[in-house]
Amino acid sequence: MYTLLAHQWKEKIRSSFWQKNIVLNILLGILGTYFLLNIVVVSLFLDKILLLYFKTTDVVTLLTQFLFYFFLVDLFVRFLFQQVPSLAIQPYLTLPIPKSKLLHYPLIKSIFSFLNLFSLLLILPFFIKNIFFTQHFQFSFSWLVCVLSIVGTNNFILFLLKKYFSKQLAIPLFLFASIALVLALEFTKTTSFSISFSESIYWISSSYLRLITPLTMLALAYFSAYTMLRKNAYIEDTHIQNNIKSTGFDFLNNYGQIGQLLGIELKMILRNKRPRSLLVISLLFILYGFMFYKKGTLDNVLIMSISGLMLPAMFAISYGQFMFSWDSSYFDSLLTQKITFYEYIKSKQIFLIIACILGFVVSLPFAFIDYSIAFINAAFLLYNIGISITIMLFLGTFNTRYIDLGKGQFMNYEGTGFTQFLVMLPIFGIPFLIYVLFDYLGITPLYYYSIALFGVIGIVLNKIMLVKITKEFKKRRYTMALGFRKK
Amino acid sequence: MIEIFELEKRYGSQVALSVPSLQINQADFVGLVGNNGAGKTTMLSLILDLIKPSKGYVCSNTEKVSETDTWKTYTGSYLHSGFLIPFLSPLEYFEFVGSLHGKNKADVQDFLEENKRFFDIQSFKDKYIRDLSSGNKNKVGILSALLSEPKILLLDEPFSNLDPSSQLWLKSKLKEIHQLGVLTIVSSHDLNHLTEICNRVILLEEGLIINDSQTSNETLSELEKYFKV
Repeated sequence: MYTLLAHQWKEKIRSSFWQKNIVLNILLGILGTYFLLNIVVVSLFLDKILLLYFKTTDVVTLLTQFLFYFFLVDLFVRFLFQQVPSLAIQPYLTLPIPKSKLLHYPLIKSIFSFLNLFSLLLILPFFIKNIFFTQHFQFSFSWLVCVLSIVGTNNFILFLLKKYFSKQLAIPLFLFASIALVLALEFTKTTSFSISFSESIYWISSSYLRLITPLTMLALAYFSAYTMLRKNAYIEDTHIQNNIKSTGFDFLNNYGQIGQLLGIELKMILRNKRPRSLLVISLLFILYGFMFYKKGTLDNVLIMSISGLMLPAMFAISYGQFMFSWDSSYFDSLLTQKITFYEYIKSKQIFLIIACILGFVVSLPFAFIDYSIAFINAAFLLYNIGISITIMLFLGTFNTRYIDLGKGQFMNYEGTGFTQFLVMLPIFGIPFLIYVLFDYLGITPLYYYSIALFGVIGIVLNKIMLVKITKEFKKRRYTMALGFRKK
Repeated sequence: MIEIFELEKRYGSQVALSVPSLQINQADFVGLVGNNGAGKTTMLSLILDLIKPSKGYVCSNTEKVSETDTWKTYTGSYLHSGFLIPFLSPLEYFEFVGSLHGKNKADVQDFLEENKRFFDIQSFKDKYIRDLSSGNKNKVGILSALLSEPKILLLDEPFSNLDPSSQLWLKSKLKEIHQLGVLTIVSSHDLNHLTEICNRVILLEEGLIINDSQTSNETLSELEKYFKV
């Protein structure tokens, strides 16, 4: 068991991703620590926050009630993002290790997940400050055990949810419908589950003996997850084969080589997990418009610029910053096929332009809030087509990082390097500098026109830029191919 | 015709391949042999312009491969599964490659029908290439290299992972193509197959060509003697 966990640890630290980029790791480390510290701080001041919003003195009861929502949301978030690490046992299946032993390992490993750490950091400081020091030991001990077993139960129930989600849609849908119903009842004040929840926790915490209830729940969740894994620990189950999906992009084949390449690009995005989830997240991001576009911010040129630049083009920019890395798993194929480098890059450009235009159209309804939004976004559409895309294609030739298309997007920094930073710098920097300059000169009303003008200049120079980018691509293609082959 | 001039590929101080001069004529069917790390794949990759030579250059029909794209129109190749596009179905991949060489769907269909005994597309209709076994991936790669009716064909260990009947099929196919005047270079560890189909065998050791000769009746026994530990 310890050897297996040690292997897992080795897999993490020996993954080529960590060894490749120390600077990024340090940055991520700082960012992560900062994030975790934030949680601790929130937790420490949770009593103050609760007091401020709800005029009550009994923060512990209030928090316990809140935990009810927290656990429901937690379950949902886990369902979206937590990975079931069952694939990792594959190499051990044929080794002389009893299956019964082996299967505890993915379960134990799942305890050390980011979401569990998050829960722990949110609960523990509050617990120490408000319960441990003020309540008597028996109560505080039982409270903690009870709450932590619920975290654990959530953690293991997820295994079951994930498993049955891939098989039948009805069960998890039913579950989430019940969660929605519970929340609805709660908010309409018909029945308060959160109060019953906190009352049960108090009831359990009043004696050691009653701890049996949450502990049984935890054990039950663990063993159902275990039994489920046990029944499914065969290689054929760990590797889900997808059946082919027809995409309906065949009409593209009539548009010559570029059409062909566009067809491949679209299939790549729709048939692979990472680009697909990027697409979904980007579409959801458009909803942020409801936050941006409010009275008060509509006159704020900087906020309107950022939203005009990012909202419609979220997909184009977050996809484009990894330009050429998306093709890393079959880059050699593209290099040896009868495709000219110019046409290859041109197809990428056309794809990004279409993505920008579609994003613009999708976010157009925000113009109902204020018609100026349409005008501003149109200016930035021109800017994105003329400037941003050219920058992404040009700097894309410096991308040498492999991307595994099959992995999820969440917290996945594969393929991320200095280039991505370099891409973002000018895309955001140019409008900002123009703004600062125009503000200084006192001609801010002309600002949006100049953004559009910049875009138009870029579009006019498009052909020259593409030829230049093709040259750069040609120069660096060996380095790119070499990097892409290193998985 | 492929010509190699002063070609050298180094990784750090280690020489992966060093070929001062080599000419492969259109009528040649070259078998590339050597133990792991001898430089077979490096040589094929250099001819395909996939890696940058440390020194020297390769010419295909008197044009430097690193400077033109024309060789791509008449060169078919399959070195490893990175040549395949994992999220396409085999048929979609064939159609993609075919379209690059001006073949429509019906042409591709005819071609697949012709080579049905090697790879039966019907059985793999609803699968993505990434879900195929390594043998079947290999077959898809080899067929797609043949699809363009190349004048030059490069294959890296095409017999690996193939079932016996596919190996026999491939052997006769390669012979047939060679007869039609296709310059072919095949690397393999299977000395029997190679000496049977090739008319020229190049033996590599630690990046150097240590033997380059026309295949004769003695070639097989000579090679077996060399590889004996």
